[in-house]
Amino acid sequence: MSVSPTDPNTPITRIYRWDLDKTYLQTEFDTLRQLVRTAFQKAHEKKAIPGAAALIRELRSTGGSRLCIVSGSPTQMRTVLVEKLKLDGVEFDELVLKDNLRNLVRGRFKAMRGQVGYKLPVLLESRARAPVDAEEVLFGDDAEADAFIYSLYADMVARRVSEPVVHSVLEAAEVYPDDIDRVIRQWKEIPQADPVRRIFINLDRLTPPAAFAHYGPRVVPIFNYFQAALVLLGDKHLTAPQVLRVMIELVQTAGYNLLTLSNSFQDLLRRGLPIADVAQSLVEALQGPAAMFQVVRPVPDIIAAFSKRVVALGAQPPPPKVRDIDYLSILDDARPRTHKKRRRFE
Amino acid sequence: MNQRPVTIAFDVMGGDHGPLEIVRGAAQLTLDTPHIHALLVGDRAQIDLALSQVRHHAERVAVHHAPDFVAMHEKPNAALDAKPQASVLVAAQLVREGEADAMVSAGHTGAGVLACARTFTLIPGVRRAALATVYPTAVGRGAKNDPFSLILDVGATVDASADDLVAFAVMGSAYARIISKNENPTVALLSNGTESQKGPARVVEANLKLQSLPGLRFIGNVEGVDIPKGTADVVVCDGFVGNVCLKMLEGVSETVMELAKYAYKEKLLWRAGLAMLSSGIERIKEVTDWEQYGGAPILGFDRLFIKAHGRSKARAISNAGKVAARAVSNDLANAIQALLPRA
Repeated sequence: MSVSPTDPNTPITRIYRWDLDKTYLQTEFDTLRQLVRTAFQKAHEKKAIPGAAALIRELRSTGGSRLCIVSGSPTQMRTVLVEKLKLDGVEFDELVLKDNLRNLVRGRFKAMRGQVGYKLPVLLESRARAPVDAEEVLFGDDAEADAFIYSLYADMVARRVSEPVVHSVLEAAEVYPDDIDRVIRQWKEIPQADPVRRIFINLDRLTPPAAFAHYGPRVVPIFNYFQAALVLLGDKHLTAPQVLRVMIELVQTAGYNLLTLSNSFQDLLRRGLPIADVAQSLVEALQGPAAMFQVVRPVPDIIAAFSKRVVALGAQPPPPKVRDIDYLSILDDARPRTHKKRRRFE
Repeated sequence: MNQRPVTIAFDVMGGDHGPLEIVRGAAQLTLDTPHIHALLVGDRAQIDLALSQVRHHAERVAVHHAPDFVAMHEKPNAALDAKPQASVLVAAQLVREGEADAMVSAGHTGAGVLACARTFTLIPGVRRAALATVYPTAVGRGAKNDPFSLILDVGATVDASADDLVAFAVMGSAYARIISKNENPTVALLSNGTESQKGPARVVEANLKLQSLPGLRFIGNVEGVDIPKGTADVVVCDGFVGNVCLKMLEGVSETVMELAKYAYKEKLLWRAGLAMLSSGIERIKEVTDWEQYGGAPILGFDRLFIKAHGRSKARAISNAGKVAARAVSNDLANAIQALLPRA
């Protein structure tokens, strides 16, 4: 089952790929008890991360966009997840879940916990069906290997990595040989393009942002979805009123206030993201006639809070440079989080 | 329970381990206590670098760039005159402007006190500020079974009058009530005898005034020996006596540690004895761990300044921030003012 609002006649120009657990949903599965509880939760008991649903709705509201969800949740949870997304008003085009029962039956225990061997082929398959010039923005989290998988996917489509490197990476990630062959085959069938604009990593575990520095400025670790919205405003994927609507959801449903929002804004500035100009767009949107923004007034306070955070920083450093990613040097990131070799920021 | 957000300004450039450990401490605070926000004041590039490498909650952290700082060897007055953008002064100004509710610094004590004096306002009824510190004692007190007594002043006001000593007593009592959760702390004057007429004229006069002051549990005079015994929860003296006392107590502790090291090296039997006592020694270290207390408050101003130890690492800084936030949440300045005698 899929809920597809996309008009088949509208050309697809943007694809937003989302993970679910810890990216869209507030999910805890660090202990067996949490895992069991998550598995038996009903749709209305599941909680979305504040701002995620609003952000998706805004991204979807522009024509020509597709929402593709790839989750490590088991296929048995499909009904409840579809229901949850429906409750949140989130319409999607693809929802792919992990068939772990099949892995179990086949005795592929490494595949059950591995993420690279599951997500990478799914992404490549989906890309094969997409128009060559469709841009992509990807959303994941810091709980597993999303930054690694998404970056590798982006660089594979752009042909910035060689086949031997991909091979080594997949081996290190404990992907089974026949699956490695399948990935390589799929990859070669995809036309070369450079579609991935941003990779947002929701810092569910509050991993220090510097842990993602080796992925370059394309990967943006975020502490909340207001930050993602600000960057997407800078990238012209959203308009200022849309960002304000995401902000309103955070204020109304998750207790965000001037302090937390202005701090979030300053955090991005400090990390060198080019969003200084978006403040002006937000100010203009706030001063506009839109009645719904009354809930986030007084406007002068908001403007003052954001301005202060900019002024407090002094001169802005240059944005981080784009560099090729040396995947072989960060192979640990591709391994499951519980793997003994992956302990750097745990 | 939802607590009112409290913002603590941290002078990131101060201390032996700044800026990294100060940033780490503030970052830890944002993880432990959702209602506390950290405003990091100092060199922006160094703060950014340190912050990007530690777990923190960015929604609860802001940075304010201050390009200068006061080094430990500098004379406070001259340094603050020459460096209006010194981190400790900028932090104090941000507190005055309402950008933060209190400040924490592990840097130059004199510069910190002077920055407060230049920026904050004394509470009505207080003529001079006092630097308070805690000292581990033999007894626990208050809801937290706190082993620390509070001594003030230990250096801010060298020459205190009787009225100053009364104000110090009030400030110390209010602080102990809020921070140690000691509902009715005992307060004593430090003198050379327990009799009320003992000591210099200002101490005798202060004793008389304190006896008739309502709302304060004044127990009279105590002697130096009563400090480690914990006879009083709050010990009041002028800055000269307090500082001499504090340094002597620190000297005694260091000498004991030196003797223990000597004993450890000298004889196998003594070493065995120390080994047998090791769990007890560890327990004493835990109980008297200054890092858990965070820092020493400068009392008397309308805004709070917690002076963290120069050697403070992340844990001590984080605890100093918690102490500052608790004092702010409990409105320490008003609590002091309510207890002060009417002029």
